Amino acid sequence: MDKLIRGGLRLPAMSWRLGLGLVLLGGLVLLPLAMVLLRSLYPDDAFDALAPLRVLSDPTLLSIFWNSIALGGWVVLGSTLLALPMAFLAARTSIGRHAWLDVVLIIPFMTPPYIGSMGWILFMQKRGFAEQLWPAAGSVTPTFFSLFGMVAIMSLHLFPFLYLILRNALQRIGGSLEEAASVHGGGPLYRLRRIVLPLLLGSYAMGALLVFVKTIAEFGTPATFGRQIGYYVLTSEIHRYTSSWPIDFGKATALASILLGACLMFWYVQNVISRRHQYRTLGGKGMRTRMTPLPGWRAVWGWGYTGALLLLSIGIPYFSIIAASLMKLRGEGLAWGNMTLAHYAELLRPGSKGWQALLNSMGLAALAATAAVLLGTFLVLQMGSMKQFSQRSLDLFSLLPNTVPGIVIVVGLILLWNAPWMPVPIYNTYAMVVLTYVVFFLPYSVQYIKSSAAQIDGSLVQAGRVFGGKPWYIFRRIVLPLLIPGVLAGWMMTFTISARELVASLMVLPPSMQVTATYIFSQFEQGEVSLGMAMAVVSVGLTTLVLVAMNYLGADRK
Amino acid sequence: MKTMSEMATKKTKTSWRGGLAVLMLTSSLLGACGAAGNANTGASADPGNSASGNEAANGGQAAEQPAEQQPAPSGKVVVYTAGPEGLATKIREGFEAKYGVTVEQFDGTTGKVLGRLEAEKGNPVADVVVLASWPSAMAMKAEGWTQAYPEAAEADKLQTDWVDADRHLFGYSASALGITYNTKLVSEPPRDWADLADPSWQGVVNIPDPSLSGSALDFISGYLNDQGSEDWSLFEQLKANGVAMAGANKEALDPVITGAKSIVMAGVDYMAYSAKAKGEPVDIVYPESGTVINPRAAMIMKTSPNLDNAKLFIDYLLSDEAQALVTGAYLLPGRADIKADNRVNTDEIKLLDYDWNWMSEQGEAISARFLELFK
Repeated sequence: MDKLIRGGLRLPAMSWRLGLGLVLLGGLVLLPLAMVLLRSLYPDDAFDALAPLRVLSDPTLLSIFWNSIALGGWVVLGSTLLALPMAFLAARTSIGRHAWLDVVLIIPFMTPPYIGSMGWILFMQKRGFAEQLWPAAGSVTPTFFSLFGMVAIMSLHLFPFLYLILRNALQRIGGSLEEAASVHGGGPLYRLRRIVLPLLLGSYAMGALLVFVKTIAEFGTPATFGRQIGYYVLTSEIHRYTSSWPIDFGKATALASILLGACLMFWYVQNVISRRHQYRTLGGKGMRTRMTPLPGWRAVWGWGYTGALLLLSIGIPYFSIIAASLMKLRGEGLAWGNMTLAHYAELLRPGSKGWQALLNSMGLAALAATAAVLLGTFLVLQMGSMKQFSQRSLDLFSLLPNTVPGIVIVVGLILLWNAPWMPVPIYNTYAMVVLTYVVFFLPYSVQYIKSSAAQIDGSLVQAGRVFGGKPWYIFRRIVLPLLIPGVLAGWMMTFTISARELVASLMVLPPSMQVTATYIFSQFEQGEVSLGMAMAVVSVGLTTLVLVAMNYLGADRK
Repeated sequence: MKTMSEMATKKTKTSWRGGLAVLMLTSSLLGACGAAGNANTGASADPGNSASGNEAANGGQAAEQPAEQQPAPSGKVVVYTAGPEGLATKIREGFEAKYGVTVEQFDGTTGKVLGRLEAEKGNPVADVVVLASWPSAMAMKAEGWTQAYPEAAEADKLQTDWVDADRHLFGYSASALGITYNTKLVSEPPRDWADLADPSWQGVVNIPDPSLSGSALDFISGYLNDQGSEDWSLFEQLKANGVAMAGANKEALDPVITGAKSIVMAGVDYMAYSAKAKGEPVDIVYPESGTVINPRAAMIMKTSPNLDNAKLFIDYLLSDEAQALVTGAYLLPGRADIKADNRVNTDEIKLLDYDWNWMSEQGEAISARFLELFK
């Protein structure tokens, strides 16, 4: 009986599935990373166990390491400041009734980071859009090109993550706990301090870790904005060692191992916090959320905040992106006579390179998202209570891809799947791309589904069992329906980021095949910025449409 | 291999139906069929097929393969190329149209192409590699990645030194490095590299990152070589004058087009010409003391799985047709007998005094030192 209760969600007799999960993850995630680590330990074809650490003895690399960590910390702070008020507004006030807000608030995150940064650079640079609109802005804009600007750009890109997680958690807390406190005389601040914040902490730690890890593994913003202000981080160095002549995979993999170590440490801290603050808030009882209507000036504040957030996170970057995509001549700047739709016409001409890239992206992302949520659901179910070591390892391994910079995983995947002894010839095919996306974005599915699963009270499963339900029946009729919101969120997230994935696409796409991200990137590097920007608009528009459709379909189920 | 044989069967099937079509074949189509046949034999037989063997195969297979009129591809060639994407696409399309061989192409920068090759070392798939940096290509040859193709058509007509003695590297096109400036912001462009250290240009100059742009590295090492190899004073002064290192060539040029910066130092000239032709407010000057012209090297990989197609591809790059595409993209044509009419030609550009061998050997160290200085 004791075991049953502790087991929570875990269904009995699942150990072989647990084993299968571990084997799957081992092949998909661990083996490629092992190939990379192995490579890093053999810098010159001779074993050297200290090679990764030796790299850090270089003072420049050490300062770059601290740059990464500091940036991660600042961005967590920045995105918390942005996301927390918004999550409260959406979960607790009438602002939350506007479902479109949810979709709109994901847009910043769907915007590929290098595009968003480009947008900010074009806006803020000397003779940029800000100065063209308000010549007086020229005295302020140079201050933007500093660490502050970089943290702002990255926070504005990553806060939707934290927002979604916090808002979901707030909604699940429900109004009844607070009402109970209120009945017993607890004031608003007391309720916030003693009920809401502790209940939020577990979810917040999870979200903050994700933001932190995303930040220090992010490549787009450091590559565009960071380079301009001379702020170098580990990923930009790793990228340099893997992509520019002379190639030094040894050094790159050594830096990656260090990055990995740091991330695992933070993961451990997060895990401790989350485990200590894990509460079952989703019971068998009905739940309702109190939506405070905002009166008078509070509505002004609430909407003012929402508006400002949207302006900064979407308005400014997209103004730049759209303006740049419409320009006939980039040297002429903002002028009505300097506009053209020619770039869009070129993109949307069936059969054009851009059109092909769009189709490829959508197809690959849909395939990858579907595969990832199937695998993710399976894995989450095996994690169960996370009490056993093997279950926690499963969690750790499924999170790993999020803690290693994408480029390192890709190199590992290539080393593995293109090895001469590899019997499965998927390298240089579409399957390789889908596999890479799945490995990359599995953590998102797992996190979202896990977040749903963690809230399901064990008593629901037990109730099903008491009434004679077989494991499969219980799964189908109780667990799965409760997991669906998480599965949908995971699908949407995976689809969105697969559709804009850059690093992996650059490395594993079969030659002569392009997706939107590589198309945009090659336009920035060697082609026309305007064409790249037009593609950014189109692809973000398309992913938004898909998300709206999914949201609409999902709405019936909730 | 499986797909190859499938294609072969498919082809023989159609070929019997197309008996009449034999009469209508043009000579170029005959060539295409020969190439197609070779792709099949070449992949299974010894990659060192001699040219005479190919001739024989041509004769034997041309008659039974008239189905080439349909674009039914016969074999493929895998090309990794660094270079202006528009040009690479046109060359691919031209080659496919002419020979009916599918080109699988990876477009990147020199650094990305090398990265991909390194990652695929265990199981290489590339047939032809095109790099934008001659010293990098020399380094690849020195490390034994490439193979010779002594029979390359028209290789004799290449500019002096744009092909190596044992015919591994073919400089089918080239760019010269210059000073690109925004004509709205700069009325009197600088005349020489050293002028850019003048305080009047403080904070308005970009230079491409030599670890990303092979051509910028060639300039830096070429300039150092010219100055006696150890004289970094100009670059130190430039750094002090606020010259910013800014990504690959396009990323360095774009801020100049939009007016955020005024000048790109050591940017590739074809980008400036093509932006100017579009109507953007930019122009280019070649410094008085001279500059570097860096040929873009095409080479066949030693491990090339589709060797005969790879050879065809090199031949195509050096053909009149592809050379016309090269000049159309504002690049310098590789062949000395072809002139560009939309830009300054090779013989009109003054060169610094540099030695490719020295640059190839020192490239890595120079790149590292430059990055250390400019970061």
